[in-house]
Amino acid sequence: MEASGYTTLTRQSGLMRELQIIANNVANISTTGFRQEGLLFSEFIRNMNDGTSLSMASARVHRTSFDQGQLGQTGGQLDVAIEGDGFFLIETPDGERLTRAGSFSPNSVGDLVTMDGLRVLDPGGAPIFIPPNASNISIAPDGTISTEDRLVGQIAIVMPTDPEAMKRETGVMFHAETGFEPLENGRMAQGFLESSNVDPILQMARMIEVQRAYELGQNFLKNEDERVRSALQTFVK
Amino acid sequence: MRALAIAATGMSAQQARVEVISNNISNMNTTGYNARRAEFSDLHYQQLARAGSVAASDGTVLPTGIQLGLGVRSSAISMNLAQGALSATGGDLDVALEGAGYLEVTLPSGQTAYTRDGALKRNAEGLIVTADGFAVSPEVTIPDDATSISINAEGEVYGYFADNNEGQLLGQFSVAGFSNAKGLEALGGNLFQETEASGPAIVTTPGLDGMGTLRQGYLEDSSVDVVHEMTELIEAQRGYELNAKVISAVDQMMAATAQVR
Repeated sequence: MEASGYTTLTRQSGLMRELQIIANNVANISTTGFRQEGLLFSEFIRNMNDGTSLSMASARVHRTSFDQGQLGQTGGQLDVAIEGDGFFLIETPDGERLTRAGSFSPNSVGDLVTMDGLRVLDPGGAPIFIPPNASNISIAPDGTISTEDRLVGQIAIVMPTDPEAMKRETGVMFHAETGFEPLENGRMAQGFLESSNVDPILQMARMIEVQRAYELGQNFLKNEDERVRSALQTFVK
Repeated sequence: MRALAIAATGMSAQQARVEVISNNISNMNTTGYNARRAEFSDLHYQQLARAGSVAASDGTVLPTGIQLGLGVRSSAISMNLAQGALSATGGDLDVALEGAGYLEVTLPSGQTAYTRDGALKRNAEGLIVTADGFAVSPEVTIPDDATSISINAEGEVYGYFADNNEGQLLGQFSVAGFSNAKGLEALGGNLFQETEASGPAIVTTPGLDGMGTLRQGYLEDSSVDVVHEMTELIEAQRGYELNAKVISAVDQMMAATAQVR
């Protein structure tokens, strides 16, 4: 069986997929709280009937980098960035979601919401009410929100039980299907937003690598095509 | 070739960011202007292999699966509500709001709008109006023979007359606050109007209920920080270039594909 073409093809389609991931990372270079991701290739071995084996490349594993993004000062009273591990807890129509994007504001009824209008939750899973006309809001590193004269609530910081198993969703959200628990010593900073942790140098280097590897594969396919053709011509003669 | 479309979303996002930055820079001297910031969020994810799906006949499950992101979108352009610096103008009808809140303005259509631009004037009838000629509400009229006027922190307007050295109360300004002032809709001309998102206006006396006070003889500068805008501009420009680089890489890969045979 002519397997060399198919083997190269598995690699090529994986590289295409990887380029798509790089494009997504680069497109989200300014997205608050975005986590860059990468693709891992693994070997896929097929046992041939004649006792040999055929090894193919399969891009099946996605890795999300949970490195800290840079904290950029915005001065917004309700802009918060998590330093270190942890996620904010958000209420969506589909259930609770996790996010690192801490650009919040009160909505028309005073509940603290994200830019997409989803409620931010406290450690008890309840929405946080910001009294209208509260002027001097301060947020402590543990998430406690207070105005001049009283305590208003607390922004939860949670940690998924299995960060690798989280599903990504639009709105820089993660769905922790295996569950999450409160983080004991989570810290947040008021007046800051965490930038995307996409590393442009890494992405560009990876992109060049992908592009060259792809060209290499295409060259191989071309040579393979010529080889088969000349073999056919020789046999036909 | 979704990578092309993804990189294109990245370029249009950076372009939107440059548009916001250029609007901020062009309003760096606009009285009472609040700097805006473009916010982005990732687009939908395509599920190619679900995390936890069975990968082999022995029951091995995929630990992470494959989700392909489809790019970026603008999620919001939010206002930074930080107080701008106050600069002394000496004008007797220049009032700056120190703290939260907006002055109420009645548009010619009868609609109510809100502004932080306190460069007030008086019109031919003596009515206090904004620089565009819209009446400030509640309406205060200054008699022609008033020699000077004074506006105190609570918004009370006093007129002084030649025959009397005691001031006469002519009226009082009120300020309007919102649950979510970021949700106000900008109308241009430094005016805003209330929306579903901002919640209804809470009209009160300056200095009460957490609202700011008035300061006569001052104007609030634009809150645009030019240095910050310039660094943002550099970031946006480089971000745009990086996305363009991705597009040219995709293009070259497509060319390599087309060259086979």
